[in-house]
Amino acid sequence: MKDFRELETEIKKASDKFTNIESINEFKIKFLGKKGIISLEMKELASLSGDERKQYAEKLNKIKDSVLKIIASKTEELNSEELEKKLNSETLDITLSTSKSYGTIHPISQVIEEVITIFGDLDFFVAEGPEVETDYNNFTALNTSEHHPARQMHDTFYVETETDGMPNVLRTHTSPVQIRSMLKQKPPIRLIAPGKTFRCDNDQTHSPMFHQVEGLVIDQESNMSHLKGCLEIFLKTFFETDKLNMRFRPSHFPFTEPSAEVDIGYTKKGNQLIIGEGEDWLEILGCGMVHPNVLENVNINSNEYQGYAFGMGIERLAMLKYGISDLRTFFDSDLRWNKHYGFSPLNIPSIIGDLS
Amino acid sequence: MKFSYSWLTEHLKTNAHFEEIEKKLTSIGLEVEDIQDTGKAYKDFIVGQVLEEKKHPNADKLKLCKVDIGKEKVDVVCGAPNVEKGMKVVYAPVGSTIPVNQIKIKAAKIRGIESYGMMCSEYELGISNEHDGIIRLEEKETIGRSFSEIYGLNDIVIEIGITPNRQDCLGVKGIARDLASAGMGELLERKISREKGSFKSPVKIEIQDNKICSAFAGRYFRNVKNTESPEWLKNKLKSIGLRPISALVDITNFVMYDENRPLHVYDADKINGKIIVRAANDGESFLALDEKDYHLKNGMCVIADEKKVLGLGGIMGGESTGCSTETKNVLLESALFDEINTAKTGRNLSILSDARYRFERGIDPNSTLKGIDLATQLILEVCGGECSEVELAGNIKENKNEVSTSSSYISRRLGFEVSDKELISILSSLGIETSQTGDVIKCSIPSWRQDIHGEADISEEVIRIKGYENIPTSNIRLKSKINKNILNYAQKKLMKARHFIASIEYDELVTFSFTDSKNCEVFGDINKLKIVNPISEELDILRPNLLPNLLQAIKKNKNRNFDSFSIFEIGSQYRSTFPEDQLNVACGIKSGIKTEKSWKNMQTEFDIYDVKQDLTSLIDYLMPGNKKISLSNDCPSWYHPGRSGSIKINNSVIAGYFGELHPRVANQFKIKNKTNIFELYLDELPNTEKKTTNKPVLNLSDFQIVTRDFAFVIDKKVKSEEVVTSAFKVDKELIRNVEIFDLFEDDSLGKDKKSIAIKVTLQSNEKTLAENDISEISSKIIESVEKSTSGTVRS
Repeated sequence: MKDFRELETEIKKASDKFTNIESINEFKIKFLGKKGIISLEMKELASLSGDERKQYAEKLNKIKDSVLKIIASKTEELNSEELEKKLNSETLDITLSTSKSYGTIHPISQVIEEVITIFGDLDFFVAEGPEVETDYNNFTALNTSEHHPARQMHDTFYVETETDGMPNVLRTHTSPVQIRSMLKQKPPIRLIAPGKTFRCDNDQTHSPMFHQVEGLVIDQESNMSHLKGCLEIFLKTFFETDKLNMRFRPSHFPFTEPSAEVDIGYTKKGNQLIIGEGEDWLEILGCGMVHPNVLENVNINSNEYQGYAFGMGIERLAMLKYGISDLRTFFDSDLRWNKHYGFSPLNIPSIIGDLS
Repeated sequence: MKFSYSWLTEHLKTNAHFEEIEKKLTSIGLEVEDIQDTGKAYKDFIVGQVLEEKKHPNADKLKLCKVDIGKEKVDVVCGAPNVEKGMKVVYAPVGSTIPVNQIKIKAAKIRGIESYGMMCSEYELGISNEHDGIIRLEEKETIGRSFSEIYGLNDIVIEIGITPNRQDCLGVKGIARDLASAGMGELLERKISREKGSFKSPVKIEIQDNKICSAFAGRYFRNVKNTESPEWLKNKLKSIGLRPISALVDITNFVMYDENRPLHVYDADKINGKIIVRAANDGESFLALDEKDYHLKNGMCVIADEKKVLGLGGIMGGESTGCSTETKNVLLESALFDEINTAKTGRNLSILSDARYRFERGIDPNSTLKGIDLATQLILEVCGGECSEVELAGNIKENKNEVSTSSSYISRRLGFEVSDKELISILSSLGIETSQTGDVIKCSIPSWRQDIHGEADISEEVIRIKGYENIPTSNIRLKSKINKNILNYAQKKLMKARHFIASIEYDELVTFSFTDSKNCEVFGDINKLKIVNPISEELDILRPNLLPNLLQAIKKNKNRNFDSFSIFEIGSQYRSTFPEDQLNVACGIKSGIKTEKSWKNMQTEFDIYDVKQDLTSLIDYLMPGNKKISLSNDCPSWYHPGRSGSIKINNSVIAGYFGELHPRVANQFKIKNKTNIFELYLDELPNTEKKTTNKPVLNLSDFQIVTRDFAFVIDKKVKSEEVVTSAFKVDKELIRNVEIFDLFEDDSLGKDKKSIAIKVTLQSNEKTLAENDISEISSKIIESVEKSTSGTVRS
């Protein structure tokens, strides 16, 4: 029998010479291969007897284990070295970049969605009507007879088609949606109607097309105090402020009685408007209790039902909230403006998340 | 409506501060729009006298003046042609601010000569357009006296917005009355002597049509002198921006602004026979006081004599009977014209006048004779002469409105308790007389409030006087929902589409719903889309399509140096100008550079496959689940005929188009880049409102996936889709996917041939596919594709 001490020395000697994975493989074959030194020794064990065999086998297995351990640890060591080397050669300049751009949502759409979100939470549904309207829906049904002076203040656009002998108009406000909705649905009604409106006026502060949102609540008890409560929640939520000075002033709209205009307080800091507090007032919307004549025009009994309506300009809301100074830029399609004032498409207004 | 504070206090006895009155005006619905403290603006200007006047040595048109301003004598260089020695002038000292341009006067050398201060024209002081020369004050003015005192400008001028319902506040007295009702003081009654008249008017009055004019009171004055108005009257008119003309005209204007009572004066010597109030006939015309000829139409209310039309009732008088300084005998008119007829006539002839403004809003019938009395007193006082008895044609009907209400109705509407007592007290402060029977309160509306017709109007009066700030705030959240959905399916679709399109790099634009008909012949029938009164020629029709405005936007931005465009709009386009002919469309454009040349990429440009992918993925997003999409080349004429397609969903209507803009249209909009567009007709997308929240059952196979590639040579005109579908249909269960991975055209393939290579993915739900299964299905695929494309497989 061989002296195992010699074998151990030989193993040690060979294991010091590893330089790469191949040398490890050679080492493995030399000792553990089919004709490897250890394998041959194992075969020879068969010729030994009893106790001797057991003794030698134990010893030999220990040596075999140590060889396996050496192989595992040296392989790991070499692999790490290899990876390290590779990593050192694989560097990229992170200051280089490619670009990815997103599109934008127009501020008008953003504000309309914000308004819908706030009123949706208050159980208002979104109603709609066409942009070309009948004279009846736009004026007469709203208690504005043909020669009412309020009509002249509207600077109406007319088109060549007629309905019931009267020329159709581009709606001058979103209020005709009240009429269409009330003809379709019986009270209780809670709706808002955002949309495009048109007036024949074009200067620094007027655009021939603009957007409004109409609100209408009809039931058996809604009164001026509910109107005030409704607008207070809306304006606070919209302007994302807890403090809001709000002022109701008498005004006149043929389709509401009493009518009111609402101002909100603001202060100016440099070029910035701070909405909510302050001594100065900004007009923000018109509103009032729906005129009984309007209810009767849509066959709703005005002794049983009452309610309120309001209307406000989307552009004005957008300008005040987002600091946009010129009304006419909304429709100018200047992409520099759109990219600056536009909103991320992922930024869907939410009551639980962010409104804007 | 403008008025001065001093004028107001002629009608209102008050202890309130001006600031209180200002606040109260707004809080009762007479919104203060502007306040000018003219005393402040003119405080520095004083009377001076020119002592010397000689030529400027260095300038022909300038003069050197020495001006006495009381405490000293100053040198002033002046350019006015009318300056002369001895003249009394308005002097603006160094440090004062010229109202018209807000320039502060400094001591300065003018052409080498020192000048201290300035002598002013009416224009420079902002009181008229007169700028031909400086103001010549009367000889008697004391040097050093404040100019604002002389012109009656030592006052505060208030401008308020009057809503169309408040005709009662178109006179200073009405404003005072409303303030008094709101607790701001006591309404003073002007003392007017009631002249009986010493003779019968020689001019008779006949109303032929009492629908358009219910009453006409006339009074004849003889031997008047139509002089310049006295200073108090001129200053009063000037303070509210009116130009004094002559005593007779100024008096009628004064009565109109004071009592809200329009009047008119005729030179009676120019009237032929009697006054006839009648409806005009087509073809009649007359020359009005604004020196314009008006052509009248049937039914307009005219004041005529026996020969011709003298004026338009309630709107404007005529040139022929206008009063001049020579006028000796006068007819004064105070009438009641019909509101609607006045409004119609005024609108028809486009005449805006103070009289029309008042008559179309409704005039207090009781002012008819009061107006005559007040004007009579002033005419006799200023112009002398004697007056006739009042000649009244027609009837002055007081038609007082009666309205019944109750405190419970008012409380229910306003949202807080109003007691009977409070209600009655507020109403009586407004001059509304009440009588109570049980709960019902009967209100008798005074003649000056033509706007109160019903209970709702009473509720507004109550809260107006009580103050809107006293309305409480109530919670509006409901215990149970009344609306099932906030947005309906169509509305959600629009919102989803907007966010999806913006998420694939498009910027949303909102453009006008109008456009230029000249660019639109290709897009629709422009004759059906005309706006009668467009804002400009370039915006003369409703848009038949979203494209024209978006193409304009591209052109505009091109000039701003943009070279890559991804823009879209979601909005309505119109088939005609009937309300129901409006469609919801999403339209996107990608044009120009897709990827910039960079260290990593070559420059690439957008092509129709970009917009095709955007459109199909948009449809997939809006209509998830199974659907059949079919393509055809059938596109509208604004698309390039060979580079465009239409998309049909489930074999029903066409839902959208994609493709390259027709070169002729591109040329029309002066766009040079290839413009790739998609249009999705959102209303045409079949409704896929979710019926259930469950998703379809998912069957997953764990057996091996195999892919096989095939290439076919086919005719160029055969659509590649044909290869894909004919491969797919061989085995719908085993074939999981078919994808085109290569396409090339080369003469070596044969004339008009192309090669298409597909990758087919196979997987079974039951077993691992064996080689013979695969070769069996492969030959079936080859057979199917060859048959349906008449092509051959490449080996």
